[in-house]
Amino acid sequence: MKRVRFYDSPVLNVQMPLWRSRLVLILLMLGFSALGVKALYLQGLSTEFLQQQGERRYERTLVLPATRGKIFDRSGSVVLASSVPARAIWAIPEDAKNASDAQLSRLGKLLGMSVKDIKSRLVDEDKNFVYIKRQVSVELADEIKHMKVPGFHQQAEMRRFYPEGDITAHVIGFTNIEDKGIEGVELAFNSELSGRPGSRRVIKDRLGRVVEDVQAIVPPVDGQDLMLSIDAGLQFDTFTALKKALEEHKAKAGAGIVIDVRTGEILALVNLPTYDPNDRDDRKGPALRNRAITDTFEPGSIMKPFTAALALDIKRITTSTLFDTGNGHYRYQGSTISDVSRNGMLNVAGILRRSSNIGMTMISERLTSQEMWNKFTELGFGRAPQANFPGVASGRLRPWERWRPIERATMAYGYGLSVSLLQMAHAYTAFARNGDMVSLTLLKREGKPTSVQVYTPQVTTQIRAMLEAAAGPDGAKLAQVQGYRVAGKSGTARQIVNGKYSTSLYRGSFVGFAPVSNPRIVVAITIDEPHSNGYYGGRVAAPVFADVVASSLRRLGVQPDAPIESLVAIGPNGEAPQ
Amino acid sequence: MGRLSLLFACLLMISALSLVTARFQSRQLFVQADRLEDKARELDTDWRRLQLERAELARNARIDATARKELEMVSATPDRTLYIKGQAPVAPVPGEGDRP
Repeated sequence: MKRVRFYDSPVLNVQMPLWRSRLVLILLMLGFSALGVKALYLQGLSTEFLQQQGERRYERTLVLPATRGKIFDRSGSVVLASSVPARAIWAIPEDAKNASDAQLSRLGKLLGMSVKDIKSRLVDEDKNFVYIKRQVSVELADEIKHMKVPGFHQQAEMRRFYPEGDITAHVIGFTNIEDKGIEGVELAFNSELSGRPGSRRVIKDRLGRVVEDVQAIVPPVDGQDLMLSIDAGLQFDTFTALKKALEEHKAKAGAGIVIDVRTGEILALVNLPTYDPNDRDDRKGPALRNRAITDTFEPGSIMKPFTAALALDIKRITTSTLFDTGNGHYRYQGSTISDVSRNGMLNVAGILRRSSNIGMTMISERLTSQEMWNKFTELGFGRAPQANFPGVASGRLRPWERWRPIERATMAYGYGLSVSLLQMAHAYTAFARNGDMVSLTLLKREGKPTSVQVYTPQVTTQIRAMLEAAAGPDGAKLAQVQGYRVAGKSGTARQIVNGKYSTSLYRGSFVGFAPVSNPRIVVAITIDEPHSNGYYGGRVAAPVFADVVASSLRRLGVQPDAPIESLVAIGPNGEAPQ
Repeated sequence: MGRLSLLFACLLMISALSLVTARFQSRQLFVQADRLEDKARELDTDWRRLQLERAELARNARIDATARKELEMVSATPDRTLYIKGQAPVAPVPGEGDRP
């Protein structure tokens, strides 16, 4: 075969048609321009979308949870409420099908639930999120995590604890499962207590580790800590004393308030029956009511000093004006007003000491309805007190134009109007101070409180002496406290049942202050429907008052102002006793 | 001219390498800072828990019951108390050192 060199190859000599090379060229050009268009499209027109998609794959926004503030008592060392992390156990029913019975029963044992209960939650397979149990402690949750039950997951949440439990239940209130306050201080100061959650945008690597921050972190703002005016010690003492009285008298309910006279701080606020705020199942029914603040009642005799002080203040009577209360029955405006006993001639001090309704009626005859209404309004009756607390009741004080003549008399001794225990205690601060009512607070007070002058200091001094006598040997003597001079007024009010005054249901109250020489605390006690061992305020509420005053003054370190027979071996000046 | 470009090339190399190391270091420090923050949060939680535990143990009701029943103590009454006049010493404020 003849060898032909490559370039001599006859094949090469064949003339190709020109269009074929053009075609190739055009196709190549088209290809390039298609690429160019695509590049333009990706780089120019759909950048935003693509960047978003990319970020979605490696960037994450983490929510930085804020912790709810703690609540302290006035000393700052007793925690009344605090949050700790907890976990919620949740499941995807479809995945949870694969969990073995042994796993479920172990899980049930750990969570304190029956297997049946867990399974009933997993019945609906269309759902893809079912809570199994919330507020599980972290240790327990970790144990459950180690079991690796298929379909079960966990989620972080916070759990609120109330170490003092039922003792401070009504003051502190509680939060719901979403950590929002729904009662008490938790509700009143919800915005201060709850913080603002922060956020950070981060890049995560393949293993889910945070590699870097993309934007500046928005730091979480933790909720403020609150310092209440409540003194945990006084609160406990009041609680114990009240509880004892409720048991002794088989009473339906009771409430007690201790107010610092100098600062207007509420040192203790107790309601019974109470509940355990840590136990979600216990938080229902009438036990939740903060009776001292939200319930109003007809005060009865504890109202008398205010009318008497008014009459003295505008000089309609003097301390020596005598009233003939007769034999204990008095016809007035078509009704009969009666006293418990026959008292004869009494001056105003005697009227308060003997708690004479007839005497009060006679005093009220020298007053006009308008004067009484004005003074009662000034004292805060009929309007909600300025205490930053949810549900403060304003009570009922009808406008004076609509009072019937008999009502002027009944108002004078505490019927025909309704007040809350807080209002009553607040009004008594006027007698404990120099005739001025101090503003109340539930938070520890920084700086000086404001006060409103209601009575003149002279009248206050006179009334204080009368109230001391009313709590003395001739009055409610059970209110007396060893070592301290106390002043106060007992009251027994009939309850209204079906629009009529009941003859078997009462409310015994006692409001007073101590020590008389330089008052430090106002204590108000009310006991609702006592059923055994008496029902008079001087019998059921006065001993509670005495207990509370004794322990409060001891805790506050107030020196006794009454003579005491000391049992201590060394006299106050260091000398040996005679 | 040739020397100058060589110098710049070297400088460029060094800067590129240092950029890489700096970047690496910053990541490491970031992870560390993150871990420490976690730790701080954990300690804060522990502090809260301990504070609660202390509150639980120092509950008035518990102390009162223990004092009365186990230790057989009674409340101090004014007749058993010696009152001393004078300026009260400034007591250390309770609650100080309670902050995390």
